[in-house]
Amino acid sequence: MSLTRRKLLGAGAAMAGVAALGGWALWTGTAGESPLLLSARNDDAGQHYAVGYYLNGKRAFATPVAERCHAVARHPFLPVALYVGRRPARESYLIDLRDGRLLQTLRSQPDRHFYGHAVFHARGEWLYTTENDTREPGRGVLGRYRLDPAVLRLTHDGEATTHGVGPHELAWMPDGESLVIGNGGIRTEGGSREEMNLDAMAPSLVIMSRHGELISKETLADAQSSIRHLDVAADGTVITGQQYHGPAYNSVPLLAIKRPGEAYQPFPVSRAQLAMMDQYTASIAIHSEQRQVAMTAPRGNRFFIWDLDSGDTLLDAPMSDCAGVGAVPGGFAVTSGQGKCRYYDSRTAEVQSQWLELPGGWWDNHLWLS
Amino acid sequence: MRALSVLVSVSLSVLLVACSNPRQEVTVQLANDVLLPAHQQWRDSNAALVDAVETYCAAPQASVDDLETAFYQAQSRWSHLQPLMVGPLSEGNRSWQVQFWPDKRNMVVRQTESLLDETDSLTREQLEKASVVVQGLTAFEYVLFDQSVALAQSHDRYCPLLTGIARHQLALSESVLALWNEPGGMLAQLRDFPNERYATAEEGLAAILRTQITGVDVLKKKLGTPMGRLNQGVVQPYQAEAWRSRQSIENLQASLQGAQAVWERVRSLVSDAALVKDIDQAYADVANQLAALPAPLMELVQAPANSETLTTLYAALDNLENRQQTELARNLNIQIGFNANDGD
Repeated sequence: MSLTRRKLLGAGAAMAGVAALGGWALWTGTAGESPLLLSARNDDAGQHYAVGYYLNGKRAFATPVAERCHAVARHPFLPVALYVGRRPARESYLIDLRDGRLLQTLRSQPDRHFYGHAVFHARGEWLYTTENDTREPGRGVLGRYRLDPAVLRLTHDGEATTHGVGPHELAWMPDGESLVIGNGGIRTEGGSREEMNLDAMAPSLVIMSRHGELISKETLADAQSSIRHLDVAADGTVITGQQYHGPAYNSVPLLAIKRPGEAYQPFPVSRAQLAMMDQYTASIAIHSEQRQVAMTAPRGNRFFIWDLDSGDTLLDAPMSDCAGVGAVPGGFAVTSGQGKCRYYDSRTAEVQSQWLELPGGWWDNHLWLS
Repeated sequence: MRALSVLVSVSLSVLLVACSNPRQEVTVQLANDVLLPAHQQWRDSNAALVDAVETYCAAPQASVDDLETAFYQAQSRWSHLQPLMVGPLSEGNRSWQVQFWPDKRNMVVRQTESLLDETDSLTREQLEKASVVVQGLTAFEYVLFDQSVALAQSHDRYCPLLTGIARHQLALSESVLALWNEPGGMLAQLRDFPNERYATAEEGLAAILRTQITGVDVLKKKLGTPMGRLNQGVVQPYQAEAWRSRQSIENLQASLQGAQAVWERVRSLVSDAALVKDIDQAYADVANQLAALPAPLMELVQAPANSETLTTLYAALDNLENRQQTELARNLNIQIGFNANDGD
């Protein structure tokens, strides 16, 4: 079944008032299915895919794509998602979630490349991405794209600065109009992934309006901690995960928190736990209902869950090359680059783990659950 | 921390299949016969190092020979263990406490001397709080072998450090061993599947192979760094691992033997007889060339006449790595790396 023009126009009309209509409830997958997990994935031969799997293991689609993707931006109510090309990709892929059809290969603007992350605005018309200005390498750019619902195509519409260097993940603050962005602080050039300024990094956490105005910009004590991934709780609490580029044997904070109205500061994690992360954090997911934050550390092969308010450890467990994590009812789903994916039920004091019937290995760093 | 309980739902039929699964058998053999003994021997060499340093430091006129022998042995057991250190020793920054290499800025000397300048008689607590740079075998080696240190005349200054490092190594190795042997520990996790760490024996075997293949890659770095392969061809003799004790080649041999011990157990799983022969030959090539080297590595790299010999050895290591990383991994359908090696 393809999207008919009438349906699209209907959806387009919904864009105007979707916030009042409850948004993405318009399409949540096939009735009766378990949650749909969207992620980038590879196969043994190195082919890249944009995939959708139900958590019960049933494959929805696996669409071959040219560039390796990183994160996924799900449209708030239409059955489409953008699989965002990984740094320094110049392509991202708009996929029809009902059958995996590639609707559009979104190419970056001249002198720009994607950084792997994007978000759709709640009204469904706008998409925002983090990008690199390759004429002025490292200068962070917030790309703005308009989705034409009649033809399901994204068109570049403009850009703003991210007020920092080497932006990575971005997310909406609870007002739905301002964005929090992790500016990783690392300068890379052209089509390269080589870090050019590890001795002069300038990471920052920026909150800005989607139109470009800077609301706040904060930094951490250690300039070699690249602020990369983040999530936002329903109350506006932001948790970030860092990747440290200083000596491997140093012990530096790798998580930080910005509570509403408070300064951005390290999230309390023990030295023993920090040592298990190998200076590298990947995905962050907040479970707002359970007031918990989960994080994957693929280099340390370690997965953690903490209480968001007290900082108490709920789980500190080995997991090979753990990759994407997302909140699901009762806990978190976690994918792995090398092993089986897992579900952690963290509703009770005894965190319980179950392997998911998803294919093992080759899952990329992030997932989106809908 | 709240306990993690794993929901295990394995039917009897699956268990019966698992018991006769050759990959599970090999994984269990590796854990029992190769990995655990290597950790135990590392621990024992550290116990011997403690004895040797206590004996040496108790007698002002004592010969340093026995202490040097104990140090060589501890370093050798650590080298042997490196391609085998799946699990606890590879986690929590522990391996940095054993050895500080590469030491690009000669931090071992500066930090060791400044720590000793700041303390009258170094206590265990002071050493535990100090940087990993001064807690391991590299600092021990500096004190024992560096020509700038007059150890025999400076027992008061250096003996507390040597004793402290040896005891730290022993405590570290005993704590790692405990993590292997405790109920539900690493040994159990490589024997009873599924468990908190691995869903299947396949995952455990893959983890062992990845560690071993990484270990072979580290051998290339240990050879290539003093050769100048990371320095535009300009040799770096003082970047050789263990250059002060002149044990670089012996350490490479010990690591190679550790890696080969894994291969010896995995060989039976390989379906391609030609590949088995090739990998056997690749190990033999590296071992023979290492055995034929006529002088310590830091000396060899400084003589241009040895360049071809060392380049040939490097190529042999590269061949071994490639055979295992690509052909062996493909034959066994083992995934080598993904996000952890190339994340974002």
